[in-house]
Amino acid sequence: MNNQLELLVEMGRHFAATQDIEVTMGRALERIAELMEAEGGALFVLEQSDAEQHLVCHASFGPVDIKGLTVPADKGIVGRSVTTNRSEMVRDAQNDPNFDTSMDAQSGFTTRSILCAPLSVKDERIGAIEVVNKTGGDGLFADDDLTLLEALAASAALAISNARMAGELAEKEVMRRELELAAEIQRGLLPPPGGVDSDGSDFPICGVNRPARVVSGDFFDFFTMYDGRIAFTLADVSGKGMNAALLMAKTASLFRCLGKEDLRPGRLLQRINAEVCETSMRGMFVTMIAGLYDPASGRVVLANAGHEPPLLHSTDDQFKTFQATAPPVGIPPELTGGGAVPEEVLHLNGGSLYIFTDGATEGYVAPGEELGADGFMDMIRVGLSDGLSAQARIDAVANRLSGSGEALRDDITVLVIDDAKPLQKRQSRDDNATLIEINKGQGEGSILNDGAVQSHEGSLCALTVPARAGSLKLVRRAVGETSAACGFSQEQCQDLMLAVDEACQNVVRHAYAGVDEGDMMIDIRREGGSYVVLIRDHAPPVDVARIVPRNLDDVRPGGLGVHFIREVMDSVEHLSPPDGQGNLLRMKKAI
Amino acid sequence: MDIGITEQGGLNVVAISGEVDLSTSPKVRDALLGSISSGKGVIVDLSGVAYIDSSGVASLVEAFQTAKSKALGFALAQVSDTPMRVLKLARLDQVFVIYDTLDDAVAAMA
Repeated sequence: MNNQLELLVEMGRHFAATQDIEVTMGRALERIAELMEAEGGALFVLEQSDAEQHLVCHASFGPVDIKGLTVPADKGIVGRSVTTNRSEMVRDAQNDPNFDTSMDAQSGFTTRSILCAPLSVKDERIGAIEVVNKTGGDGLFADDDLTLLEALAASAALAISNARMAGELAEKEVMRRELELAAEIQRGLLPPPGGVDSDGSDFPICGVNRPARVVSGDFFDFFTMYDGRIAFTLADVSGKGMNAALLMAKTASLFRCLGKEDLRPGRLLQRINAEVCETSMRGMFVTMIAGLYDPASGRVVLANAGHEPPLLHSTDDQFKTFQATAPPVGIPPELTGGGAVPEEVLHLNGGSLYIFTDGATEGYVAPGEELGADGFMDMIRVGLSDGLSAQARIDAVANRLSGSGEALRDDITVLVIDDAKPLQKRQSRDDNATLIEINKGQGEGSILNDGAVQSHEGSLCALTVPARAGSLKLVRRAVGETSAACGFSQEQCQDLMLAVDEACQNVVRHAYAGVDEGDMMIDIRREGGSYVVLIRDHAPPVDVARIVPRNLDDVRPGGLGVHFIREVMDSVEHLSPPDGQGNLLRMKKAI
Repeated sequence: MDIGITEQGGLNVVAISGEVDLSTSPKVRDALLGSISSGKGVIVDLSGVAYIDSSGVASLVEAFQTAKSKALGFALAQVSDTPMRVLKLARLDQVFVIYDTLDDAVAAMA
């Protein structure tokens, strides 16, 4: 009896500590058979294959190894024990109606007596353990033997069941960890907080993203361009699962990559759409807003591809929405007449622009009760009157929707562009706030400022034009108007027009090598008492060392442009654009 | 930009007005070289020029050198402030023959 107890304890310990249940079962079976003086033993496990259940031998001991043997689940003594979930003690196997003689026929073994106990945990039937042919005594198993086998079977069943559960858990754990890694990568795609400006005020753009599941189909992003303007985007991929998350990653990367090419927002969305449509979308699409915000003027250029209308909250507490101007990204351009995305220009004038996904307005604040656009606007008003920062205002919205006690219905993403602090800065620097008018440019591609610009510190005028000779007249016009507004004499204005014209000519003639395919961006700024002109192109980098003014004693046509530029300007610098693409020239002249 | 060519005292008078830049200077070049190929001296009237860039100046220099190689007269006349400023920036005001009026030019070159 002591031996039996010892085996029970030992087996329990082995089963609890095992890494490999098959090996442990094999050893346990061997010990059991030894203890019971049995000639052989086998452990069968119930397995489902196709529509049928079978008993498969997972461990065997004795003169014949039957490991791997498969029998129908209802056959033989083992089958009967499993089916009835009761132990069997058969003293004359050959004469038992259930005895399956085929097994002996296959193995050449003669089975006389059988002791069989079912393996089960609660209602779960796992299999059965059997020992055959007692060698000692009268050759028959006794009731004591049966009791012991039942005790051992219970211990083994629990171990097998635990091992199975552990396997499933491990699989789930692997899935969970993979999802979490994906979510971590996704969070990495969101921009870091914009930080604090040199004067201590918050970065004017911030956002919040709360995924409904581990990963999200929403995203937002923003980054500062070489000239101080901030490119931003917010998008919502249809769906919420891993497929949405992957498409989100692709779209977010395209924004980061193409956004740095200094495209206008409408053109940027058009390019992103073309790229996205090149791969199979399987009926998925992305509603997306892209824009450019200039803190130096409060001006926003916005392009909206099928997204929720953004909300402009003006300083006089009015809300204004801006409807989508194009279908979502992912709709092939040929279906929508070329895929152009029109732009809208708005002036924040110290107000805030809220861009959000429908998860923010359709989220529940109480069971069955959506926040709604009105609720969203109310929360913004309350946040402002409580003196909350832009980040705190949108965090409050996300917190309220996350705090309803229910799982989120959809991802929540909100982006805000807060022009309050930039307006204060503009006003404090705005010593001579004269308005100058710049006419809309004539001809194709001559996109100029939309009407008026202020001659305060910052951008006076920014324009993107095709890099061709026909664009130069427009550039000169912009220089003439802005330089006059800065107080330069008529002759100085003429000189500046000449210098900028010559610099642009170099882009047209040399950088793009006369091939009519690129744009050039001209940003005219007033900075620290200087008139500053930035000229940006996306041509192959120009070898700056080869740019030399000509010897003036050598009278010949050509080569005068660089001389003119250096003669007129106080400084001329060839900068490398922040993203390393194209050329960036900065010229300054003191006002 | 407009170009008018007249004959005065056996000379071609090429009157240029408007803005001469990268897009219009090829026409100025063609007009000047065409006038020289007729075998007459050329007076370029710059009174109506509101703007001229390095490519416009280059056309003038090329025409001047071509005329010189054919031993033909080449002069600028009535140079308004803007082109004069550019010629000075290029130090070409000392290279070109420049007359205050058309009559002065014709009288000197005829």
